Amino acid sequence: MEEEILKNKTIDSDLENTIDIFKSLYSVPMNTDVSIRNLFIGGLNRNATAISIKTISDSEKIEEQIIRPLLSNSDSDLTIEDICAAQFLNTHSQIQEILKDINNGNTALFLDGENKAYLFDTVKFHGRSVEKAINEVSLRGPKEAFNEDVAANISLIRKKIRNENLVVESVTISKRSNNELYIVYMKDLVNDKLLKDVKDKLNSLDVNAIQNLSVLEEYIEDSSKSIFPTILSTERPDRTVSFLEDGYIALLMNNSPDSLILPATFWSFYHNPEDHYLRFVFGNFIRLLRFLALLITLFVSAFYIAAINYHVEMIPSDLLLAISATREVIPFPAIIEILLMEIAFELIREAGLRVPNPIGPTIGIVGALILGQAAVDANIVSPLVVIIVALSGLCSFAVGDISLNFSIRLIRFLFIFSAALFGFYGITALFTCGIFYLVSFRSFGVPYLAPMTPKYISSKDTIFRKMLKKELYRPGYLKPQDIEKKKDNS
Amino acid sequence: MMTLKYLAQVLCLLFIIPLLSACWDQTSIDQRAYVVALGIGKSENENQIQVTFLITNPELSKKEATTNEPSQEIISFAANDVIVARNIANSVIAKEISYNLLSAIVVSEEFAKEDRFLRYMYDLAKEPQIKRNIPIIVTKEKARGFLENNRPLLESRIHKYFDLILNSANEAGLIPKSDLNSYFRITEADADLFLATYGTSEISQDGKDSVEDNFIAGKMDIQGETNQVQLMGSAVFKEGIMIGTLTGEETRIAILLNDILNNMGPIYTTYQDPFNEKYKVTARIQTEKKIDVKMDLKSDQPSINVSIPIYMDIMTQHSMVDYANDSQKRETLQRSIEEEITNKINNLIKKTQEEYKGEPFGWSVLARKQFTTITEYENFDWMKSYPDIKINISVNVSFGNFGEQSILPDFEEVRD
Repeated sequence: MEEEILKNKTIDSDLENTIDIFKSLYSVPMNTDVSIRNLFIGGLNRNATAISIKTISDSEKIEEQIIRPLLSNSDSDLTIEDICAAQFLNTHSQIQEILKDINNGNTALFLDGENKAYLFDTVKFHGRSVEKAINEVSLRGPKEAFNEDVAANISLIRKKIRNENLVVESVTISKRSNNELYIVYMKDLVNDKLLKDVKDKLNSLDVNAIQNLSVLEEYIEDSSKSIFPTILSTERPDRTVSFLEDGYIALLMNNSPDSLILPATFWSFYHNPEDHYLRFVFGNFIRLLRFLALLITLFVSAFYIAAINYHVEMIPSDLLLAISATREVIPFPAIIEILLMEIAFELIREAGLRVPNPIGPTIGIVGALILGQAAVDANIVSPLVVIIVALSGLCSFAVGDISLNFSIRLIRFLFIFSAALFGFYGITALFTCGIFYLVSFRSFGVPYLAPMTPKYISSKDTIFRKMLKKELYRPGYLKPQDIEKKKDNS
Repeated sequence: MMTLKYLAQVLCLLFIIPLLSACWDQTSIDQRAYVVALGIGKSENENQIQVTFLITNPELSKKEATTNEPSQEIISFAANDVIVARNIANSVIAKEISYNLLSAIVVSEEFAKEDRFLRYMYDLAKEPQIKRNIPIIVTKEKARGFLENNRPLLESRIHKYFDLILNSANEAGLIPKSDLNSYFRITEADADLFLATYGTSEISQDGKDSVEDNFIAGKMDIQGETNQVQLMGSAVFKEGIMIGTLTGEETRIAILLNDILNNMGPIYTTYQDPFNEKYKVTARIQTEKKIDVKMDLKSDQPSINVSIPIYMDIMTQHSMVDYANDSQKRETLQRSIEEEITNKINNLIKKTQEEYKGEPFGWSVLARKQFTTITEYENFDWMKSYPDIKINISVNVSFGNFGEQSILPDFEEVRD
């Protein structure tokens, strides 16, 4: 409490008093990375103190551009801003404001006899440089990915949109850690109501800390319990930019090597930037493959269960006899067999992801050999089930987006159960219910399956893409200020 | 409180779902015995039938650990109908009997000629596991004997044997395409004759005077170590009951005249060489265009004019007459073949009109178009009127190739 009151105070002109306050706030000398430099400014004939945090500021810059000019100054007419070469930010007198700047890596300079602090930009956080995209790999097109430094991320975006209408607005979203969020949008495209909704949602947050975007996602989602994602997370700046240019809103944050795109439709999860980088035919071919993979992942295990339990007559005779022969020695019903292998596959996947790199290959051997071959040899599962589970597992990777990938993997189990209970009828019923759900589902007010259903003016980029010359419009469901992307010059 | 209630409701619903589900008649795929051929025959008991199951052994499909078990099992017993037979069989067969893999229904000729045959056929329409596209084979001997003697040497997977032989014999035009559905359809329409595949494993020695395809199953002398079963010709059904047979050649003509049945591939056959009585010419026949059937049913003497376009490649001729380069000889050949085919067709039509008093050509369907109302058609009574209709056949043969190498050496010169 005492600290709270102290923070709301303003500093006075007595330098020593001020320094004592800051020393107690920062627990100096217990706190070791806070640097307090006392110095005497020649020319002005005054004592001064510079406070900064060593680990997040550029000490060389402080030394060269603030301390040294002050020490070597002999001119009595110059102001502090003129003496120091470092970028001057502001002056503050309220303790809380000064603290906030120091905590962000800036340097505060206090002068004896002045009741304000001079703040200089000396921020230098440590982080990695711009690297290749790891999760959203593409063969053609730009390779660079976002990293944890938001300034670098924004620069990656600005590099692609050289336009004054690109706005990067910053909002502080947490009370204690003061995490800052950047709302990025095109001023002349974005729908104002949508923007206002997003801002209202962000301002209504009352939390101590939000570390990064992955955490924020759950706070701002409309239906965070749903099995389908409603916000797209991408680590590719090129992808973010193409969404911005369509009138979407992107969120960026420090410590987040990605951006959040909203609103998101089903198609934005299904698409991959490579679809547009490849030639028209090839791009649509991989779309087709991805769509097939999606269907295979969802249905192949369920079809197997339904067909061999309820619809034997639809299996080709030779296959029927082959299944019948191999299943004769299996002690479990088909549903247990499938579940055993599906769960084993999920385990391999999860364990394979968490395992430290040097042990990685071992997991592969154990997974493929022990669980595949040995399970068949031991008459625990039939060979066909291994094929089916491997196929459905493999195909689930063709859907690149991690969130949609999870959705599909989970829904697959629902289909397996419904097939075990009701056969094809169960699969069809669940699929119908799922379509009902998807059609009524919304992300920030935008229907999830738009523009396919309900129909909107758009470039019709859904399951397949059109020729680039024919992609004339921005998505109508966003109600952008300017719907036309290009003139029809085909 | 509300959430607890909600939870309870959801739990109740989840509990009910398994009760609603179809698990109760679920049998695992490996716990079924698959009947490939279902034999129906006369039983000693008046009110029963002799049911024969040919059950396939799936073990053969296994890749590893080849088995010593036989590829098939035959069980035969008297039963009230084919539906109850599924249960009776379980006193011997360990697995649940399933008709899912049924590829043929085998009926003995003796039983097919009985009046009660139709009643038992309709049992098949009632059983949900029996599909309507299953072919019917009529056998000369008992169905059980046919199935027991049927030991194809190269197709130990017996379902494959039935699928393949019925298909290729049908394409060759030796047997008609006869499935359960058309049996019911034709019987119910009560206007045409239904043709079913005729087969036997009893080889008889008499009546072997004719050549090539003018036989019925069992009359063909096939030597070698092979399956005894022959499928050729067809059994003729009138009003659901068998009344006679057609030979292979007659079956071919019936198929040729029947647009509905016609899915013959190109067939090979021989005709008399007009220039040398000793030899024949071999031809490959294709019916490219539909046959043209013109009916005049309103006049006092109803008549049907059928014109049949036939496209023919002459493959070989032993007389070594140079047809390829001699248009006059070609014309003679054409006239001779046309005459031969017309005679054969006329013979068959005569047989159907006089002996069977019905036609298997599916013409009743075409005849319906000649009437404006259904009552008019019904009053005409196609089946009754058919024997009195005058039928004129005209065959138009057109030649294509004369073999891969059309130029032949002079026979005398080679001799020299």
